[in-house]
Amino acid sequence: MSKIGKFLSAGLLIASILFSCTLSYQAQKVQYNDYRIAPGTRQDSSMLQLLKPYSDSLSKSMYEVVAVAETDLEKKQPEGPLGNFLADAMLVMAEKSYATHVDAAFINYGGIRLPSIAAGDITRAKVFELSPFDNLLVIQKINGKVLQEFLDHVAAKGGWPCSGIRMQIRNKKAVNITIGGSPLNESAIYTIANNDYVANGGDDCAMLKPIPQVSNGYIFRDAILDYLADLKKQGKKISAKTENRVSNAE
Amino acid sequence: MQNRRKFIGQTALATAALLSSRTALAGLGADEGVKKLTILHTNDVHSRLEPFPMDGGRNQGLGGVAARADLIKKIRGEVENVLLLDAGDIFQGTPFFNIYKGEPEMKAMAAMGYDAATMGNHDFDAGLENFATQLQHGNFPLLICNYDFTATPMEFKYQPYKIFKKGGIKIGVTGVGIEMAGLVPDSLYGKTKYLDPIQKVNETAAMLKNEDGCDMIICLSHLGNKYKDNKVSDEVLARETENIDLIIGGHTHTFMDAPAVYKNKTGSDVIVNQVGWAGIMLGRLDFEFAGFKRKNLAKSHTVVVGKKTME
Repeated sequence: MSKIGKFLSAGLLIASILFSCTLSYQAQKVQYNDYRIAPGTRQDSSMLQLLKPYSDSLSKSMYEVVAVAETDLEKKQPEGPLGNFLADAMLVMAEKSYATHVDAAFINYGGIRLPSIAAGDITRAKVFELSPFDNLLVIQKINGKVLQEFLDHVAAKGGWPCSGIRMQIRNKKAVNITIGGSPLNESAIYTIANNDYVANGGDDCAMLKPIPQVSNGYIFRDAILDYLADLKKQGKKISAKTENRVSNAE
Repeated sequence: MQNRRKFIGQTALATAALLSSRTALAGLGADEGVKKLTILHTNDVHSRLEPFPMDGGRNQGLGGVAARADLIKKIRGEVENVLLLDAGDIFQGTPFFNIYKGEPEMKAMAAMGYDAATMGNHDFDAGLENFATQLQHGNFPLLICNYDFTATPMEFKYQPYKIFKKGGIKIGVTGVGIEMAGLVPDSLYGKTKYLDPIQKVNETAAMLKNEDGCDMIICLSHLGNKYKDNKVSDEVLARETENIDLIIGGHTHTFMDAPAVYKNKTGSDVIVNQVGWAGIMLGRLDFEFAGFKRKNLAKSHTVVVGKKTME
């Protein structure tokens, strides 16, 4: 860096500029300290003000209690109560809204957006958080071969919630499959329900993409809300449990 | 902290100061003393503007922008050089998004003074046009180098990178997004083209390093922390890159006990951090830098990682 020496004698200002140009900085050390934003943390008042008009308007429509959960509902793989509740809701509401027999219903695991729901009151907002997407509830008629391919995919993903079906996962494949109590028949035609995200090939479900869908524009979240309204009318609570619908083979 | 310009101006003192800081960092062969930068970061906040409701759920009371804003203000009052960054999936997850389509999320981030964010797959959820529209409420740049938005509503609404200068350190920040096919409905991403993240990040980082002379390069990533198969992730990206110092991750909602450290292609350390989801955590990384003459820069360098003791 003899150049710098020359310029230093010429003028300190120029030198300082050049000097700063010739230095590079390299990270040597990092200390981490992630904060947990816990209850009781001080709130910024201007931020609360920014939110207020939005949250006031939401609270009018969103904090109505739409159901009661009898127990905590966990999201789990290969199977969990929260997923079973949602898959059952999908099957029942698919049959009701399409007035047809539906063999099986599925929920893509990643589509369940809360890790759990606590026992007790469930608000409309909670259902929005659980299923925030405006996905539609659709049905498709598929042969047993495509169903096997789809279930293998479900198995490879670690197991998705399903209703109307039982299966085991072995080496990332679906085995010992029964539909409505009978073993999967590759040449039979099955009616399955999914959200349109999955039916359109989402979550890598390319095998479903070419298959025609029947859709009446029913948003899956509305189907859940309608299912809960029916439960409420009957004076029932949500009481889903794990019951070996999807399990890992020994 | 030493103000460099000032002390260079004072000839005799300058030499002494330079010598003493050299002595202090003699083991590292540094030519000048320590500079500091604090990175604050979030990812996958998913429209969680208010804390989780107090309903007995696992996350009850956690998160919320009002508490985060207060914490950020406090930290900004304590340290001089702060970059506040987000790794995508700003949108989708609470009724706020269903009703307002992202406006309050963007306004809240603007109010907190976010410096930059990248785009997650759920930021497409109300369509690209909506995302482009909501960005006006954000006043921070949307950085992504591996999506080609030509002929989409996002075409002139993003930047591949941005250079920040903080306390004498030049920081290049870029962003990288996940492959949309099979994940995002075709109708939502439209004509957006996904480009190889490793190649694009390496191109961008090489330019930021060699042409712009950045001292540090950060990649905001929505690729996901790591996968069981060989799908590209932050882990893969870290190992396959050159010139990236820090990856702020997202997508997999990973809560990390400590940042991960990987060796890149030239044997240098790459730090990866991700803070779960829903704004339950605010990530903080305090970096210390030493100055070197270019010829003295280590070809591969190590970063000492430690847990900061809470004051």
